[in-house]
Order: sequence, then structure tokens, then C-alpha cells
Amino acid sequence: MNSVARTAQRLQVLVVALLALFFAFPVLSMLAEFARPQDIIDTLTASSLRGVWWFTLWQAVASTALTLAVGLPFTWAISRHTFRFSRLLTALITIPFFMPAVVVATGIKAILPAAGIPAILWAHVVFNVAIVVRIVGPQWLLLDKAMEDTAADLGAGRVRTFLYVVVPHIGESLRNAAAIIFLYCFTSFAVITILGDISHRTIESEIFTQAIRLGDTRTATSLAVVQAIVVLLVLRWGNPASREPRTATQTIQMLTTSRTPFGLALFFSVAVPALVVVSPLVAVIIRSFTLNGQFSLRGYQWLFDGSTEAVGVNIPQTLMTSLFFAAICAVLAPIAALIISVAQQRSSIVASITALPLVVSAVTFGLGLIIAFDQSPVNWRSQWWLIPVVHSVLALPLAVRAIRPALDAIPDDLSDAAASLGAHPWRSWRHIEFPLLQPALIRAVGLSAAISLGEFGATSFLSRNDTTTIPIAIAQLLGRPGDVTSQSAFALAALVVIVFALAPQVRRHQ
Amino acid sequence: MKKIVAIFLVVSFVAGSALASCSVITGSFEESAKEITLISYDAFTPSEGIFDDFTAATGATVRVVTAGDTGSMVSKAILTSGNPEGDVMFGIDNTFLSRAQSGNVLLDYTPVDESDVCLNYDKAWFESRGITPPQTFEDLALPTYKGLLTAPDPVNSAPGFAFLVASIEHFGEGKWQNYWKQLKANGVRISSDWTAAYTIDFSGSSGKGKYPLVVSYGSSPTAEVLFSATPLTTAPTGVVTATCFKATEYVGVLRGSRNEDLAQKLVDYLLAQKFQESMPTSLFVYPVNTDAVLPDVFVKHAVRPATSSTPSAEKIEKNRDQWIDTWRNIFL
Repeated sequence: MNSVARTAQRLQVLVVALLALFFAFPVLSMLAEFARPQDIIDTLTASSLRGVWWFTLWQAVASTALTLAVGLPFTWAISRHTFRFSRLLTALITIPFFMPAVVVATGIKAILPAAGIPAILWAHVVFNVAIVVRIVGPQWLLLDKAMEDTAADLGAGRVRTFLYVVVPHIGESLRNAAAIIFLYCFTSFAVITILGDISHRTIESEIFTQAIRLGDTRTATSLAVVQAIVVLLVLRWGNPASREPRTATQTIQMLTTSRTPFGLALFFSVAVPALVVVSPLVAVIIRSFTLNGQFSLRGYQWLFDGSTEAVGVNIPQTLMTSLFFAAICAVLAPIAALIISVAQQRSSIVASITALPLVVSAVTFGLGLIIAFDQSPVNWRSQWWLIPVVHSVLALPLAVRAIRPALDAIPDDLSDAAASLGAHPWRSWRHIEFPLLQPALIRAVGLSAAISLGEFGATSFLSRNDTTTIPIAIAQLLGRPGDVTSQSAFALAALVVIVFALAPQVRRHQ
Repeated sequence: MKKIVAIFLVVSFVAGSALASCSVITGSFEESAKEITLISYDAFTPSEGIFDDFTAATGATVRVVTAGDTGSMVSKAILTSGNPEGDVMFGIDNTFLSRAQSGNVLLDYTPVDESDVCLNYDKAWFESRGITPPQTFEDLALPTYKGLLTAPDPVNSAPGFAFLVASIEHFGEGKWQNYWKQLKANGVRISSDWTAAYTIDFSGSSGKGKYPLVVSYGSSPTAEVLFSATPLTTAPTGVVTATCFKATEYVGVLRGSRNEDLAQKLVDYLLAQKFQESMPTSLFVYPVNTDAVLPDVFVKHAVRPATSSTPSAEKIEKNRDQWIDTWRNIFL
């Protein structure tokens, strides 16, 4: 073990301590204070919650099925064919995945103002198509086209070929993708908040309502426990260990796909998903320039002339706060991820610890925070800095996922060679490992910033008038009456869409 | 090791600048005792310049922050209990007071105004169709009034909850559930809060919405007269007096206020004659100060029902959770 790894191992104690303080402590103190076996059983049997469980489940199943229905043809198209704009389209279709859920939901609201179930399902599809493309795509790409051709030569129809040749090959990745999509929809909060009404309650939104609106922390905690158990079971079923999409190289793509004439089937498998995913984003932008059917800049004007303060939202301050929090998160999360990745290069223990924030939903986490941090010496729940720290905790697993594969991919011989030439480990690190890691680090920075900018569930417990973040502000503006107020909500969302669509990092990430 | 030192320098620099900008972000709190923050619900629209006398007397300006409907305001106050976002809270009513008290939000509280939550109707809508407006709770469940009513969500909204309690008082425990099932079947729209119900959904106000019946206040017609573009002699909206609930709103100093003395002075100011006399035409509520004189327009257009539903605070507190729970399940 060299001095770099030793330093990292010392520093990881700090990272783990911070995780214990800011993640384990709030969640455990919530459980200790409010989780009672009898209450947990009650939440499962109470007739009043049966409808909530049912809606949560079926909307998640329906959203997953719809996402696969939209995403698989697209995945087929890009992994089986080469055509003009295929890379651009892939980039386009995966953009919403990184976008704040509130913004995606706002886009759907621009198209379907009355919202309701179609709107909720649509928003979930927009969000998650990227998961199908990125997890199933590489696997499909690796399937030798010759096998399908052989099946066809032997007289198998398209359906049979798909069922007996393609599905067994991509089956595992399909299951992974389905599990992850299901979980995102199962714990959906921002989408439900923006697009749902009193008859659309999910477990996640119910935890919030019970705790905040009704003051029933015990029911909220019990719901959170059962929800976490479901999440764990689904994660197991979906086999998250192999969740990292295997990356296929460009060469394989050249080998297995051929330039195909742009047939009708190909056209629809590309056009439909593109339309489904991109139209809400375009709609936000169009809507942000429209007032009562006319072109108008009032929404943007209101954002910056102080008009929204009348409804309690100060936009310039919100923008500053959000960017500032994102900057902190973009520094803290990648540094912590780097320390953990270097220290635990050969073990998965800490990596699984950092994956815990994925199991505990954002709203559960937020609830734990306000329960745990409400008395001295840790009376921190109204402290502004808690928000970026919480964002960093939530971004950490993704930052680790961005950095670890890159670190693992660096051959040991490189630093060995440097060492045998007499380079000090730090020097070797600086000149060899670090430059090789740089793209992954930049990606981690971009991802962390994106998570901070979009985080809604936990932040809604912590934000105050002077620490409103962009998604919270959008949700607040959408909830207030007045044409111009909602136009300014769309304007704010449009700004986010433009930033995320143009952010070079998002592009490079595809 | 140098690298680590460098990283730590960067981190501490970031943390340092963070602290610095923190004071910029939260500066409004630190900056001075010359400002006092009054938190209220969305519909809190005090008369222009009404706090000038307070500023003249104390040297402190009043910053008004609106925090959504009463339910959202109280929820947020419970979350920030002991470390509040302001100094004085205006407008928690008798339907939400028990929640605020269990959340240990206020140092003290005192009644500041009264109002009647009643069903309102759009006179022109009913006249032009030759339909008689509803007279009672029961009428609302009739096919004649199908799809005409918008009511605020009782979870978030004080008048929404008041209307629910009034219906429970009227039909009695065990029977009201069926009534709300009938209302649901009859197409009642549940809006997120009062502001959305009254100013967006209701056809008789600024939003010119689709619903000619709305849960609002006995004093709401006054607002329609005052804010009308053309002078009116009679109010364009009417009140169904058989559906009223008497609401009392409270004002109090928030526990953890950074300036309790000044906050108490503001409470006193809100209870004094000048502010109390301004309330009817700005907030459309009745003053509690007996010295306050009601303006003519209010006397003429506001409807004060002879009898209002007034269940005891204890009864509301005891049943609140169960009522809301049952109601939510009807609408799931």
C-alpha cells in the first residue's frame, strides 16, 4: 500500500463519520423515536391507506411498462441500426434524466394543464426512457446480429426472434432497467406534487402529507419503513450489483450494425420516443413566452423585477442560493467520492454504504433530518448549510459510481512502472492517475451539481424563505393563482431546461 | 501530503466563502433590529401604508411574508418551531389553533378578527339560467347543482376545514361521511387552497372560472363591490347563510422571535383601533376591538348570519385528525 492509498484511508474515516452524522443519525433517530411494529402493521392493514398503496403500486407498474414500451423500440433502433442523427437523438432523449423532476413535471403541465393520471405517467416516461436506453442499449449492442439473422433464416418470425434470441440476451439488463424505473416511479414525489391532486397519493407524498400537513410523524415513519423494505426487495430482484451498464465500444457498434434505409418501423421507433420526451421540454419554453395565447415576456420580467416577492418568492435570491448550493455539492460530493474510491479500491463495503441514500427515499431522509436536528447541540434544521450537505449526501452514490469504474480501469502496471522508475506515489498520482481520472471527476462534478439543482424531496423539509431553491420556487409559483405567476413559473423552468440542454457536461456524458 | 493540504485549503476556502455568503443570503435576519417580520397567509393584503404609524413610533419597518394558505403557514411554522422565519404570525384560526399549539409555535396568542365561512354564489350565473341558488347544505347534493361547487382542500385551507366542520355539525357524527360522498358524486371540485378556489375556479370573481358556487366568506361580496371596475349598488355574489361557520383568527408572537419586545408592540398595534378599522376593507374580516367602527360598504354588503356553526375548540381538537383522515379517504 502506498502513501496515496494510506492518506485516502485516513480521510475516509472523516467521510464515513460525516455520513454517519448526516445520514445514519437522522434516519436512525427517526426510527428509534417513531417506528413501532404495531404502527407498521397498521399502515399495511389500515383501510385508509389501502388506496394509497394500490395507487402507488399500479402507477409505478404502469409507468414502468409504458417506459419500456417507449424506450425499447428506441433502444432497438440505436443498437441495431446506424442512421443520421442517431447520436444526437440519443443525447436528446437522455437529457431529461438529469433534469430536475419538478421541471419535467412543469413541462407536462404546460401541455396538459388539468394534469391527472395521464400527466403523471407521461412525466415518469420522460424521466426514465434514458434508463432503458443506457442500461439495455449496451447489452443489445453486444448481441451478434448474425444470431438474429440465423434465426430469421431458419424461419423464425420477428416476434419469435425477439422472444427467443434477443430477450434471453438482454434479459438481465431489462430486469435491471425495469427495477430501477419501478423504484423511481414508486418513490416519485416531485411529479406527484406538481401533477397530482388529492385523489393521487403515493406512499412518498403520503409520508410528506402525514408528517407535515397532518403532523402524524408515527404514521409517516411507518410508511417510510415499509417503503424502504419494498425498495430493498425490488433492488435485490433487479440485481443492482450489475447495475452499471457495461460499456460497449464504438468498434463493436461498427461491427454489428449496418447503415439501414430509414424504414417506417425505424422511423416510428425513433420519432415516437423523441416526441414523447422532447415535447414537454419544448412546451415549457413555448409556454414561458405565452400569456393568454399571446407572445409575452411578462413571465421573465416578473422573475427579475421583484413581482414574485408578492407571493413570497425572491427569484434573484433563489437563483443565487441554488447555484451556490450546487457549487458546494459539486465540490463536496466528488471529493468524498474520490477519497472513498481510492481508499476502497478493492472492497465494496464503503461503496455499499454510500449506496444507502438510494434505498432511503428523499422524503424519508428529509423527515429524519427535521426530527434529528431539532435540538441542541445539533439544532441545525434551520441552518442554511444543512441543505448543500444533504445534497452532497444524496449525490455521493452517483459520484462514486462515476469515479470508481474509471479508477478500476487504470492498469496497476502504470503506477508500478512509475514507482520502479523512482516516482514518489504522489508524483505518480499527480501525473498518471489524476489525468486519467479527470473526465470521470468532471462527470462527477456535473452530476453532483445537477442533483443539487434538482433535489426536491429532502429540500422541501429544509428550505426556508431565504434558502428557497429553484425547484421549490417553481413548485411555489405553480401553486399560486394568477396568469403571470404561472407564466413566471414556466419561465424559471425554461431557464433550467436551457441550462441543462446546453451544459456541455450533460452532452459529454451521453 | 502537499496535495491533501491543498485540498483542505480549497475546502476551507469554499467553506469560508460559504459562511461569508451565508451572511449575504440570510442577511435580512442579522442585519438589523429595525425590521420586524409578520408572517401571514396568502390573502393577507393590508391597506397601503397601514404600518407607517408603527414605523414612526418604533423606528422599525414591517416586512410582510405570505406563506401559502393557513395550513401551509402552520406546517412551516411547526417545522421551524423555536427558530421561526419571522416574529409575529397573523391569521391562525380556531380550526388550526390546536395544531399550532401542539407544535409549540407561538409564545402567546390573542383573537384579532372574526369572520364567517359561508357558501358564496355567483348571482348572474344563476339568474341567467333561471336556477334558484342553493339554500342549504342538502341542496348542494341535488342534481340541479351538479358540478357547480368548488371548495378548498380542508388539509391545507382554514375555510376548507371550517366548511367541513360546519357540515359535520349540521349532519352529525356518522352521517356527514355520506353527505360528502354525495358531494363527490355530484362533482365537487377540491382546490388546493382558498385562493385557488375563489380567484381561479369561482365564476363570480376575478378568475371568471367555471364554478358558480364556492366556499368563501360572508364578507366576500364586499370585496367584489370594492374591487369592481364599474361602481355597483348591489354585490354580484350572494351568501348562503345556512352554511356558515364562525371563524376567529389569532395573532401571536412566534416562539424564538429575535425581538420579542418589538414583536409584542406589533401585536398591540394590530389590535389597536387604527389597524382594526382598516381590516374590514382590506382583509374583509370583522374587528375584535369594540372601538373600531365598521365602514358603510361593509355594513351594506357583508352578510353576517343570524346563527353560525360554532363547535368548541375542544371538540375540533379532539376530532380533527379523524375527520380529516375520513374525509381524505372519501376523496382518494
